[in-house]
Amino acid sequence: MSLIVFHTLVIVLGILSMGFQLLASRLLNPHFGSSIIVWAWLISTFLLAFSLGSMLGGWISCQPRPRRSRLQVAAAVLGVLTLAFTAFFGRAALDQIEIAFIDPGTGLLVSCLGLFFVPVTMLSSFGPQCVQYLAARGTTPGAASGLIYGISTVGNIAGVMLTAFALIPHFPVSSLLYLWLAVAVLSLGGLIAILRTVPESPSS
Amino acid sequence: MKIRHLLFLPLLLLPALAAEKTGDYVESFDTTYNSLTVERRGSVVELRARSRRGEYIESAVDLNDPLKQVVGYTRTLYSGLFFQPKPERVLMIGLGGAAFHRLFAAAYPSVLLQTVELDPKVLELTQSRLGFKPTDQTPVALMDGRLYVKRSTQKWDWIILDAFRGGYVPPHLKTQEFYRECAARLADNGVFITNLHATTELFYADLKTLKSVFPQVVLFNTNGRGNVIACAVKYQTPLMSVPAAWPDPVTLNAPLQDRVDLRLVRSEQIPWPTAEVARAPLLTDDFAPVEFLDVMKTNNTKEKQ
Repeated sequence: MSLIVFHTLVIVLGILSMGFQLLASRLLNPHFGSSIIVWAWLISTFLLAFSLGSMLGGWISCQPRPRRSRLQVAAAVLGVLTLAFTAFFGRAALDQIEIAFIDPGTGLLVSCLGLFFVPVTMLSSFGPQCVQYLAARGTTPGAASGLIYGISTVGNIAGVMLTAFALIPHFPVSSLLYLWLAVAVLSLGGLIAILRTVPESPSS
Repeated sequence: MKIRHLLFLPLLLLPALAAEKTGDYVESFDTTYNSLTVERRGSVVELRARSRRGEYIESAVDLNDPLKQVVGYTRTLYSGLFFQPKPERVLMIGLGGAAFHRLFAAAYPSVLLQTVELDPKVLELTQSRLGFKPTDQTPVALMDGRLYVKRSTQKWDWIILDAFRGGYVPPHLKTQEFYRECAARLADNGVFITNLHATTELFYADLKTLKSVFPQVVLFNTNGRGNVIACAVKYQTPLMSVPAAWPDPVTLNAPLQDRVDLRLVRSEQIPWPTAEVARAPLLTDDFAPVEFLDVMKTNNTKEKQ
């Protein structure tokens, strides 16, 4: 049962990450348009967040248990708080960024890093820790990483399709960001509770 | 000829390649923002943007008669004269092939027609293939239209919105917030003019959004087909929907000579589609499913064939 919940939470994290990218594009749209330039900055920001988040998560998963738990909570809290900032103050921040930076490229860079980079990095940091969880339960590391990244990517696909074709056509972006925030709180909370059962890693 | 001379041959050909194209041709260009086709047949040059529906004509110019309004809707843009007959400053969002610009500059040489265009390639092609030369009275700024409006500190007598990307209007140029930004930059007696497509559900959402910002909106259906030009003003009175109260079209027509028939434009006024607009969603920065509304067809049987 716990494994079903665990895998469901991995899928939900995948949905949150990529669905957030589409919501981010809608936030940027009124300020910077919807050209390929906007998408280039947005995709690069998310890939950078996936990259650094994975490395951060790998490092956290090697820490001794009390410290590891504290770091997990810190990453989740930081992710939720920065996501809340984007949900509640994102538009106001974009208004100010647009005025402060005449060059649209600089404005886009500041917007992407300021509003989207940190929450996605923190969400991504849980991927390697999920691999560690499965490996600690006896799954070989290769199989564990293949399974986690496989189902996480299924979540990514579901996040894109669900957000693009079911949510954005029917709901305001602000409401969807509040929904993302609520789901992030619940899913990260559930995941931290499950990850607490991971035994000490041999290297720690 | 020595081999090293042959190596320099391409350099000698460069000036010829850079010159304006002559004869019939079809060229395609993929830019950062568009997939464009330029086709010349005889003296007419068309600028088209490729989209899912095929190719959408952005503009067309007859090089032997550059003032001719080859694409019908550009003449309907002059409906703005009914509501602000003496513009001194005009802002146009979207350059296209600048067919409107040439007639406007010839008819009103002292009026400033400022254009803002997103795609540098459109400006380049409009100059090199369609023969448009920006002047001090017809300058072109290269940036996003909404950014330009936001950063503009001046008032405009006309603001014309004619920005498409392959037949689609970018969503951020369709929202209540954008129309408010335009209204803020419009002179008190100015007119906001926008080119709409009446063949999808987006049309009614667009009208509802326009009306939420501008108290009065009047519609003109070009040639009875899908291009509808909406003229919107910031004032409640006098009523703008009564043609009898408009300036005499014959007098207005004088600077335009026979290039535009304002009596015909006046006759193309269509009623406000109250019932359809009531059912349509309001488009905001927070909720603008423009792409989805733009693929939902309206009842095309309403259009004249």
